[in-house]
Amino acid sequence: MDDPRQLSGKAAIAGVGLSRFGRVPGTSAMGFALEASASAIADSGIAKSEIDGVLVLMPAQMGEQHGWASRVAVHLGLAPAFCSTMDMGGASAIGMMQTAAALVHAGVCKAVLCAFGSQTNPQGILPTMFGSQFAIPYGDVGAMPFMAHVGRRQMHEIGITSEQYGAIAVAFRKHASRNPLAQKRDPMTLADHQASRWIVEPLHLLDCCLVTDGGGAIVVTSTERARDLRHGAAKLAGFGQVHSSEIVHPDRHEAGIGGGREAGDQAWRMAGLGPADVDVVQLYDGFTPLVVHSLIVYGFCRPDEVGAFVSAGELEFDRGRLPTNTAGGLLSEGHLSGFNHVVEAVRQLRGTSTSQVPDVEVSMVTGYGGAPHEAPPTVAYTVAILTR
Amino acid sequence: MFKIDKPLPMPTEESAPFWEGTRRGELRAQRCDDCGHLRWPPAAICPICLSGRHEWVRLSGRGKVHSWIVVHKSQHPAFWGDPFNVAIVELDEGPRLHTNLVDVDLAAIRIGLPVEVAFDPQNDEITLPRFKPAA
Ligand SMILES: [Zn+2]
Repeated sequence: MDDPRQLSGKAAIAGVGLSRFGRVPGTSAMGFALEASASAIADSGIAKSEIDGVLVLMPAQMGEQHGWASRVAVHLGLAPAFCSTMDMGGASAIGMMQTAAALVHAGVCKAVLCAFGSQTNPQGILPTMFGSQFAIPYGDVGAMPFMAHVGRRQMHEIGITSEQYGAIAVAFRKHASRNPLAQKRDPMTLADHQASRWIVEPLHLLDCCLVTDGGGAIVVTSTERARDLRHGAAKLAGFGQVHSSEIVHPDRHEAGIGGGREAGDQAWRMAGLGPADVDVVQLYDGFTPLVVHSLIVYGFCRPDEVGAFVSAGELEFDRGRLPTNTAGGLLSEGHLSGFNHVVEAVRQLRGTSTSQVPDVEVSMVTGYGGAPHEAPPTVAYTVAILTR
Repeated sequence: MFKIDKPLPMPTEESAPFWEGTRRGELRAQRCDDCGHLRWPPAAICPICLSGRHEWVRLSGRGKVHSWIVVHKSQHPAFWGDPFNVAIVELDEGPRLHTNLVDVDLAAIRIGLPVEVAFDPQNDEITLPRFKPAA
């Protein structure tokens, strides 16, 4: 696109919804997707008949199931003109909103539902372990070893400490303790973080996100249409997306930086804004090192200042310069693949967060996901800038 | 309690020459015939020039530790038990391999530690390349 600003603010989030979430055995991924979708449609106030696009993230635990998005559409009684199952892991919620905005801008759809539901122990599915023949035989399985490697390199390259990771977890738990929906609300101290058991050194249990059953959904339409709906428009002012291979193929990135910077730059250019304009941010926090990484690549901190920044409480909603993950994040609110981050970003614009930042004009949200456990590891970074 | 075997590679068309190499005590990678790029992991096509033509070249088997971690709780039940190290080794020729470090105390592992390949036969077909401190 010649001018990235031409799409800025043309589409908006009109409604958001979450299903029940937490450890909810005996439920289904489809049930959560439908529950969240109905909630988002009701929140927007849009007529069901106006929704002519459906994008759904299928949970990885379900294996390969054809037509997942079509099934969601059928269960909701929709007859979409465009329907697609998408998968970028935790980057999907924002990737779907970006696709939805493009569909609306191109005139293919008038209103697009983006939805997700996950049940961590689904019925009828044999658990499969996926992984590369060049990683899995060594026990390098899943996201935790990958993010432990990221943490080890951060400690080596920029001197991050486990206590600084702990300050991040403590800040997000403080926000979760104020959120009645959050999965983990007990107060956490730095000592609790340090005493929690090792999962994969250098990561403790409290450096890792929660395991969550549940779903989320978002309704995207034109800003013009959203303005006439119940909550008005949460404008999609900027988007960014970049796909990156790290740790094994890091040669495209400066030491201590890694991938993702271009996704932020795209979003800043499209929105005509910069990091200093952000009032509140929801950073994809599968693990604490990812928060450190995001603060650097999206331009909030230099590598040499990020440790002191998080330790000084700068992420806390009531005393920090950059209120972050104000509903508790994946670390303490729950792991809804980033849909809960989008919902909280919208709450902050509406003024309805349980840890509300005053007078929010610019609300940012990021996603991160893919196949970090493969060789080569590949991940997608996504960014959205929301404005009133 | 039933026991789950540790997963072993199932060689594919792209990777079979690599696993044949380790069985013979050689660490190999593909070098593109058209642009000379040494690629890792094995793949059908060169990521630089998209050529499918390549030769397998022998690597030195020497490198240094790029990262290392200690797995206490694995997602894979075959790896439940005592904590164990997983490392990423950067070979002198450039590729970075997931592996385990052997013949070394945890306390002696550090980023930059010089290492060399230690072939570890699992059965008649599969030999895993692990790494030990360089002599
Ligand atoms: Zn080539």
